[in-house]
Amino acid sequence: MSEEPRIGVFVCHCGLNIAGTIDVEALTEYARTLPDVVVAIRNRYTCADPGQEEIRKAIKEHNLNRVVVAACSPRMHEPTFRRTVEEAGLNPYLYEMANIREFASWCHPSVPEEATEKAKDIVKMAVAKVRLFRPLKTMEVPVTNKALLIGGGIAGISTALDLADMGFRVYLVERSESIGGHMAQLDKTFPTLDCSICIEGPKMVDVSRHPNIEIISFADVLSVEGFVGNFKVKIRKNPRYVLGDPCTGGGECREVCPIEFPNEWDMNMGVRKAISVPFDQAVPLVYTINMDYCIECYKCVDICGARQAINFDQKPEEIELEVGTIIVATGFDIYMPYDDKLYGYGEYDNVITALELERLILAAGPTGGKVVRASDGKKPKSVVLIQCVGSRNVDKYEYCSGYCCMHSLKHAVQLKEKYKDDVEVYILYIDMRTHFKGYEEFYRRARELGTNFIRGRAVHILEDPQTKNLTVRAEDMTLGELIELEAELVVLATASIPKSGTDELARILSVTRGADGFFMESHPKLKPIDTAVDGVFLAGACQGLKDIPYSVSQGSGAAARAATVLSQPTWKIEPIIARVNPDKCRNVRVKCAICAKKCPYGAIKAPEGQAAEVTAAMCHGCGTCVAECPSDAITQMHFTDAQILSQVRAALEENPEDKILGFLCNWCSYAGADLAGTSRHEYPTNLRAVRVMCSGRVDRDFIFEALKLGAGMVLVGACHLPFDCHYISGNVAMKARMDALAKMLEKLGLSPERFRVEYVSAAEGVKFAELNREMCEQLKALGKEKIKAENEKLRPMLEKMLSRKKT
Amino acid sequence: MPMKLERNETDKELSVRRILHTKNYSLTVDKTLCTGCEICQAICPKEAIEIKMLPKVPGEKRKHATIDVDGEKCHFCGICSSLCPFGALKVRVNSEHVFPVVKTESFPELIREINVNSTKCDIKCVDCEKACPLELIKVSVQTPDGKTVKNVDSIRDKKKLRVVVDVKKEFCPCCRLCELKCPEDAIRIKKFFQGIIHIRQEKCPEDCQDCLDVCPIPGALFLADDGKVHVNEIHCVYCGACRVVCPEEGALELQRTRIWHTPVRSGAWNKALEKLTSTKDLTKELQKKGTTRIRDSVKKRFDLGDD
Repeated sequence: MSEEPRIGVFVCHCGLNIAGTIDVEALTEYARTLPDVVVAIRNRYTCADPGQEEIRKAIKEHNLNRVVVAACSPRMHEPTFRRTVEEAGLNPYLYEMANIREFASWCHPSVPEEATEKAKDIVKMAVAKVRLFRPLKTMEVPVTNKALLIGGGIAGISTALDLADMGFRVYLVERSESIGGHMAQLDKTFPTLDCSICIEGPKMVDVSRHPNIEIISFADVLSVEGFVGNFKVKIRKNPRYVLGDPCTGGGECREVCPIEFPNEWDMNMGVRKAISVPFDQAVPLVYTINMDYCIECYKCVDICGARQAINFDQKPEEIELEVGTIIVATGFDIYMPYDDKLYGYGEYDNVITALELERLILAAGPTGGKVVRASDGKKPKSVVLIQCVGSRNVDKYEYCSGYCCMHSLKHAVQLKEKYKDDVEVYILYIDMRTHFKGYEEFYRRARELGTNFIRGRAVHILEDPQTKNLTVRAEDMTLGELIELEAELVVLATASIPKSGTDELARILSVTRGADGFFMESHPKLKPIDTAVDGVFLAGACQGLKDIPYSVSQGSGAAARAATVLSQPTWKIEPIIARVNPDKCRNVRVKCAICAKKCPYGAIKAPEGQAAEVTAAMCHGCGTCVAECPSDAITQMHFTDAQILSQVRAALEENPEDKILGFLCNWCSYAGADLAGTSRHEYPTNLRAVRVMCSGRVDRDFIFEALKLGAGMVLVGACHLPFDCHYISGNVAMKARMDALAKMLEKLGLSPERFRVEYVSAAEGVKFAELNREMCEQLKALGKEKIKAENEKLRPMLEKMLSRKKT
Repeated sequence: MPMKLERNETDKELSVRRILHTKNYSLTVDKTLCTGCEICQAICPKEAIEIKMLPKVPGEKRKHATIDVDGEKCHFCGICSSLCPFGALKVRVNSEHVFPVVKTESFPELIREINVNSTKCDIKCVDCEKACPLELIKVSVQTPDGKTVKNVDSIRDKKKLRVVVDVKKEFCPCCRLCELKCPEDAIRIKKFFQGIIHIRQEKCPEDCQDCLDVCPIPGALFLADDGKVHVNEIHCVYCGACRVVCPEEGALELQRTRIWHTPVRSGAWNKALEKLTSTKDLTKELQKKGTTRIRDSVKKRFDLGDD
């Protein structure tokens, strides 16, 4: 170390919040006795201006180069005091928080003496750690101010137009032939019944005409490398066999093409030609030859003539783009209920899905807007709309798809307005969900038009083999009895599900997905548009199902979020990241690359024969790689092995057998412990907590060291499996590591209750307090003597394991 | 209704269907007409047709191969049906028999040039009807007002009667058996396939007459005194059913050299033509087309000049 540490400790009273329980005077006195502590000062409110001023003054007066603030949780005021020390000319990373409020005064109010002792340990641990701190520099990376948008539905269109209007270049990659998404398939939109393509079409054209937007349609995203501000994206343009520029979109080729195939756009109810566009308003208006069907008669080439737009030799083309942010707006798919025998979908001719009905009602659809049955081509006189097919079903899709109630109401209104009393419409529903503006009024309109609403589930559907009419047997919950409905057409409001390929894209982008399969936002309330990967944002139904206005809003929101990055010339990156010491890296000698495999963000590259390297801007600082590295070649800044071990040693200096050493992850367990304090759930004082960013950071050596020093118990606290981890999968790596370790320790003679892995969320303050009470009971039950004896037995083995550390 | 693919097979018929909400397509193979020749299989652009050999039962006649259609691969383009020599395949759209590829001139139709000059016919002659191995000819005698006469002897004024020879052309492979049997030389037929067929008797396995067993045209192949099968090229229609079942490679050589078809300009046809004949024959046809085109354009220019 370049200079001797000169540490200042600032003990906060926090009014009576701390001082009411803890003997702050004794604590301050004790702090002065700690090594390298030059000054220890008490203050009523350290976070208030005078308190901060006192720190700044002391730094200058006493020439301090390290600061410990013994006050509240670092989750609360760490940034505040970082700023304070920085203002006094100190590196902001040369300061540590000792949490004596949430972890001492608030959770042990009835035992002030013990609480004070615990507070002393907490301060001692902080001082031990802060001595080893090094100044860190916030990194800055340049930002490419272009955006990539994946998916050209209505959400993506909104994002693209907003970003382009702000002046940023936007690449809009669309997998299918045309942008527009599901909205372009719809007839009318609820609750206003305005024509869907009439309002979306102009937007689609705006996108194609905007000088800042480049549409890359009929293309797939192959890979994404890099980090916020600096993504490199590989895209494959699939061959259309028709060149975009010379194609005039006139459609003469379509006329002469002899081959028809089912049009997916029409839900395979109608057909399109082997050379065609999926729908007339397609953007870009470039024809595509479907080679699965084309017989290569070249009639299209003949008629295309001098335009020479058709090129049968076209090959897939790979391009690379450099962008600063990526917005994912891939939307959703519709569940096709073939597998649910109850509805007879695919078996009975006159059972269709809601989207199929949509295409039938649409004037540009395969029937020219006539709602007709497949069995006889006649208009149905009675229609039963069944809600929640697949949705709200724990065996299928647990969630509510959100907009099906509204689109079924819309269908009811459309059928009633079109065919008046000539059609009887029934809606079988569980709950009618009509929140949002104008929706409840629309529900009333459907009722007033004479739609029959029946609350209940369909239990059986039978088909008359002659007439192909259907009998829907349902449970009427209002009457409490079984009813039967005669239907000439049954329409299923099926669940919406994640777009096919979502899993693949999640892998490419290192973005997590929730249990329902949709992309997961960074925070469900406060960061609903961000993902865990910096610079990658979500828009529309790919994050969770939404109707059109909500998708448009989120699309604009995503544009704003992306602009926060794109508008900056550079982007700041927290320096709490991992670094590899190439001299120690094993990968140079043997095939290792464990770190690269375990990194949840793909931030580490370990090419064969070379030392692993961390891409700083991609590293999120979980520390999983550090704990996994078999040769201790990786260090996490601000959470080095030495720093954490110094905390462990400080915590276990006195009476280690009475203590529970806990490694708590910052986002869940530590936050849960904070909550236990904030909510004043009292528990015994035995715990000494070491905060790590992620449980994935907890090295086996930490456990060995703690047990070697005689700790009564060791606890690892993590986020709940499998999806709660703030760093995607750090907890999963930790579990695998600790499961193996627990087995080994038990074999060596450790009572299993002395080493525990527990999952506590940020909301589970009560659980955290209970856990502590339970562990203390066990600690008492085991008895000091037994623990000592076990430790003696374990020591030689542990020392052997740790000897590696010294070299 | 979601799209459905259906498949039905009986002793007489195989059909695959693609049923959409608004439209349905089907391809039907009439098993009684199919001879298991390889033409449809060779030209199907999507390889949806497969030839299936039936096992040979010792002591029984060799049965001709059958075809199987993969309903998932078939796109109902009608290429197979437009070129089947026996008219065994039919594509229907909404139950109507159509040739989608022929309509857009993406594929040709076979030209079955069958001319019957029935004025030459003797009113009592039914030789052609008897000669047709596929029972496609119906000879009838009619009065001037179009009534069919059952008993010719009951009519006194026989001079006013006329003979009507009705040929179901779409199923006719143009074997010329009727032409040669006609005593009055009233029938003229041009084969739509021309080619060369040759059997190397020295390669034939002992006692094998599989080719003869499956040949749909009596007399096109025959067993000679040497106990081997020989060819009578006058009647061979070059369908290839014999080659499909021939167990000995190189024993039976068949090559089509020309196909008599309606004029088209189509890549799909060129491909099919090459498969059915050879690259050489394809080039020949293309060259011929080329010269016709040049001749046409020259003619057009001259015509314009005259005006």
